[in-house]
Amino acid sequence: MSQPLKCSLCEEAATVHLSQVVHGKVTKVHLCEACAQKGGATDPAVFQLADALTSSVMAAPAITCPKCGFTDIDFRKRGRLGCPSCWEVFGEVLGGLLTKVQHEPEHVGRAPAGILPAGQLRRRLEAARREMERAVTSEDFEVAARLRDEISTLEQQLTPS
Amino acid sequence: MSVQDILDAESELTHLLGAQQAVVLSTRIRLARNLDGMPFPGWAKVPQRKEISERCVDALTELPKFRRSHVLRMTELQDRERAVLVERHLVSKELASGKTGAAVISRDQTVSVMINEEDHLRIQVVKAGWHLRGTWHIAEQLDDDLGARLKLAFSERLGYLTACPTNVGTGLRASAMVHLPGLCLAGHMDKVSRALNQDGLAVRGWLGEGTEAAGNIFQISNQQTLGLSEDAILKHLGGWIKNVVEQEWNARRKLAKDEGERFSDRLARSYGILRHARLLTSAESMNMLSHLRLACDMGCLPEGHRHIVDRLMIEGQPAHVQARAGEELDSDGRDRRRAAVVREALRDFPEVTAPTA
Repeated sequence: MSQPLKCSLCEEAATVHLSQVVHGKVTKVHLCEACAQKGGATDPAVFQLADALTSSVMAAPAITCPKCGFTDIDFRKRGRLGCPSCWEVFGEVLGGLLTKVQHEPEHVGRAPAGILPAGQLRRRLEAARREMERAVTSEDFEVAARLRDEISTLEQQLTPS
Repeated sequence: MSVQDILDAESELTHLLGAQQAVVLSTRIRLARNLDGMPFPGWAKVPQRKEISERCVDALTELPKFRRSHVLRMTELQDRERAVLVERHLVSKELASGKTGAAVISRDQTVSVMINEEDHLRIQVVKAGWHLRGTWHIAEQLDDDLGARLKLAFSERLGYLTACPTNVGTGLRASAMVHLPGLCLAGHMDKVSRALNQDGLAVRGWLGEGTEAAGNIFQISNQQTLGLSEDAILKHLGGWIKNVVEQEWNARRKLAKDEGERFSDRLARSYGILRHARLLTSAESMNMLSHLRLACDMGCLPEGHRHIVDRLMIEGQPAHVQARAGEELDSDGRDRRRAAVVREALRDFPEVTAPTA
C-alpha cells in the first residue's frame, strides 16, 4: 500500500481530491474533510493557496517572528500568520505567495486617517522629482527649494520605520 | 439583549425594511481589520483574546451606530442560539464554534461586527436587494470611526494587515446573494461559475464557503484584495452582477417562452406542495420557495408577496424552526413545524397564473 495522501493545507489525511485543468495544465489538490468544507470545491483560491503553500518557496529554513514566536513551519501548517509584525518578518516568503493569490503585490486602497498609502506617496514623489528637474532647468529656484523639501518628506515617509 | 430579540425584531432581510428585488437578494460588504501590535486571534493566547475582545467591544459600543446594539459573547450562548446567528449570516460558523468570539450587531441587523474570528475585527454590512454603493458607504464610515478609536494594523506597502494572505490590502470582500433559477434550470450555471472564477470572482452556496447552493441561491464575491482600490473592486463586482442579472432574465424569458404552459405548471406544482405539505425538509422547502420567488418575479404571483418568500427562506432553516418552536424537536418534528409555518404564511396567496414579465 502506498502512503495515504496528506492534505495540502494542514497535513491531515486527505479525503477530497480535486483536479483543475487550466489551459491544458492539470493541477491537483488533496484536502482533508475540514479544509475541503472550509475552502469550497469551486473556489479557485483553494488551488492558488495550496499551490503557493506547497511550492519550493516554503522550503526555506525556519524563520521566527521575534514579536510573537510564529515560525514559517506554523505558516505552512495553518496558512495564516501570527501577528501584524509577521508580515515584515516573512516578507520574502509572502512576496512569492502574494503574486500568486493577489492582483498586485502593493496596496493602492484606503488607509487609516493621516496615512497615505505607499502607492500614492510614490506617485507623488515621482511627480515632485520631475517637477523639480523642470524647475532647476528653468532656474526657478524658489519652486525647486519647495519641491526639494517635499521630496525629502516623502522619502522619509516611504522609508519603513 | 438576546438571540430571541434578534428573532423577534423586524430586520432588513426578513421584513420589507429594505426594498426586496428580483434576482439580487442582498448586497454585503465585509472589511477585515486588526489591532496593531496584537497577535491574530488564531495565534493569540486566551488572555490576549479577551483583551482584544474588550477593546473592540468598548470601541464599537461607543459609536452612535451601535447605540442599543446586541453584544453577544459566543460562550454565553446556547448551541441553538449560535446556530440561529449563523443561519442569519450575522456570524460565521468559525466564530460560533470558537471560545472567545463575540459579535456586536446593530438594532436593525444591517451591521454586525465579528470579534476574534480569523481577524480581530470583521465588519459586515448587509442590505436587502442590490445596493453596492450604499452598503459600501456604511462600511467605510464605520471603518473611519473605528480607525479613529483603535490603532489598526496597517502597512503603507501592504495595506491593512490580516491573518490570511487572501485578505491583506483592502481587507474588502464585496458580495451579492443572487437567486438564479433561470440559469440553473437552463443548465448554464456551471458555465457562468467558470467565467466568474476566471475573472477573479468566487461563487459559493447560500451559507458561504463550502455550502451547497440550496434554492438556486449563490453568493458572488471578489477574490483579490491587494493591488486594487476599493473602488476598482466594487466596479468589477458591480459590472459582473449586472451581467449575471441580465443573463438570468434572458434565461427566464427563454424558459417561459419555450416551455409555455409547462413553465407556470412547474411553479404552480411547487406552490401546491408548499400550500399543502404536512412534512417539509429544509432542502425541499428551499427549492420550492425558489420556484415561488421566481413566480413573484415573473408576475405569476403578485410581486408584493416576494418578501414573504424571502422571510420563509430565512425562517425555514433548521435552527430558526427549532428556536420558534420553543420546545426540543427531532428531525420529523422540525419538518412538521416548518410545513405548518409555510402553510400559514401562504394562506392568503392567490393562484399561480401565466407569466407577465
